[in-house]
Amino acid sequence: MTQPKRRGCLGCSFPVLVIIIIVFLALGIFGFLSGAIGQELLQKYGVDIKFPDWMVIGQPEPHLPAPVLFNVFGIPITNTLIASWITVVLLVVISYVVTRRMKIIPGRLQTLFESFLGWIFDLCKSIAGDKNARRFFPIIATIFLYVLLNAWLSLIPGYGSIEYTEYEPVATHTEELPAGGHEGEYTIVTKDGVDYIEHRHELIRGANTDVNTPLAIAIISFVVVAYFGLTSLGMGWLRQYFNFGPLFRSLGQTFKGKLNVMGIFSGAIDIFVGFLELLSRFITIISFTFRLFGNMTAGEILLLITAFLVPWVLAIPFYGLEILIGFVQAFIFSGLTLVFITMAVTPHEAEAH
Amino acid sequence: MSRWAAALRLTGIGFFIAACILGGILAGLWIDNKLDTRPLFILLGLAVGLAVAFTGVYRMIRLVIDNRQDKENNQ
Repeated sequence: MTQPKRRGCLGCSFPVLVIIIIVFLALGIFGFLSGAIGQELLQKYGVDIKFPDWMVIGQPEPHLPAPVLFNVFGIPITNTLIASWITVVLLVVISYVVTRRMKIIPGRLQTLFESFLGWIFDLCKSIAGDKNARRFFPIIATIFLYVLLNAWLSLIPGYGSIEYTEYEPVATHTEELPAGGHEGEYTIVTKDGVDYIEHRHELIRGANTDVNTPLAIAIISFVVVAYFGLTSLGMGWLRQYFNFGPLFRSLGQTFKGKLNVMGIFSGAIDIFVGFLELLSRFITIISFTFRLFGNMTAGEILLLITAFLVPWVLAIPFYGLEILIGFVQAFIFSGLTLVFITMAVTPHEAEAH
Repeated sequence: MSRWAAALRLTGIGFFIAACILGGILAGLWIDNKLDTRPLFILLGLAVGLAVAFTGVYRMIRLVIDNRQDKENNQ
């Protein structure tokens, strides 16, 4: 049987392909000209083309601390918190929809999620072993899905582009306003003869771009490691960090009249090693936090800047990059947690071999 | 432990080195400002931080090296 001769390329016929290429080229040229770089070049060569307002993108102003939108019972609600609620709700909805009608022979949706979770489970098994994988799987999968969905949801248009405007009377504002008025995140508007400060915030911002979210997950992962370590090894787990036993034993021998210099020395080294372990455990929290926070915030700012420099076209490859980075960060976060839990439940003597 | 585990473990090395050196220097700076002995304790803190960072990194990569040597011996 011969394959029917296929015409066209990339799965579509030539006319369609040509149209697509032309559209992309037009978008690219117009995007380039209306962006910051193009405008600069046009002004340099004295060409004055005015683009309509909706085509011109203002200079992005990234803010690191998440702005507080409103307070509930004195608890400040930030835009990143709202984004993380959306993530949680979406996770619950997805898991309800997928598991509502489970079948022995799974449908498309069920197959997708089964293979995805199966992949995470295989990862657990390859690192933690068959016996422990079942114990660790829930927490690892939760961290993975939460971080992944936080990262991917923040790529959806609307995250960061829907704005929330807040009016505060100038009279009640206590801090001194910087000169200018358009600098920063506010403008002064006049309504009914009263001056108001107009604060504009993003209504939703990717939850991972707030340093508190990665910090919270890092602390959860730390607590989980400590919990599994304590329940599996008991005092043996603590002894890794506070190893005073050998030193006191040698000191005791010294008091009994047997001077054991080498014992005291190695006991002191044991304490130092324990201190080192403790230090690296706490540095883990910091590194977890800032790895995720840094990658996600940098990605957000990168997309803002590319959309500002050359709108419409240049940001597309970086969207692909951000999808990849979100996945890699989720994988690193959950995988590292898994590695540390596995190390915490493995007796120290067995680990050295 | 599998290769994944070893590789993931090594992702924390950079942060560990940075945190150790920074912590040592900051502690030295703080003591110096208290005792007015600059730059004695900064240098001391730097030395201690470097030593701790080196020891910690050595302990981290020893796991990987041991793994590989075990494998080579088994072959």
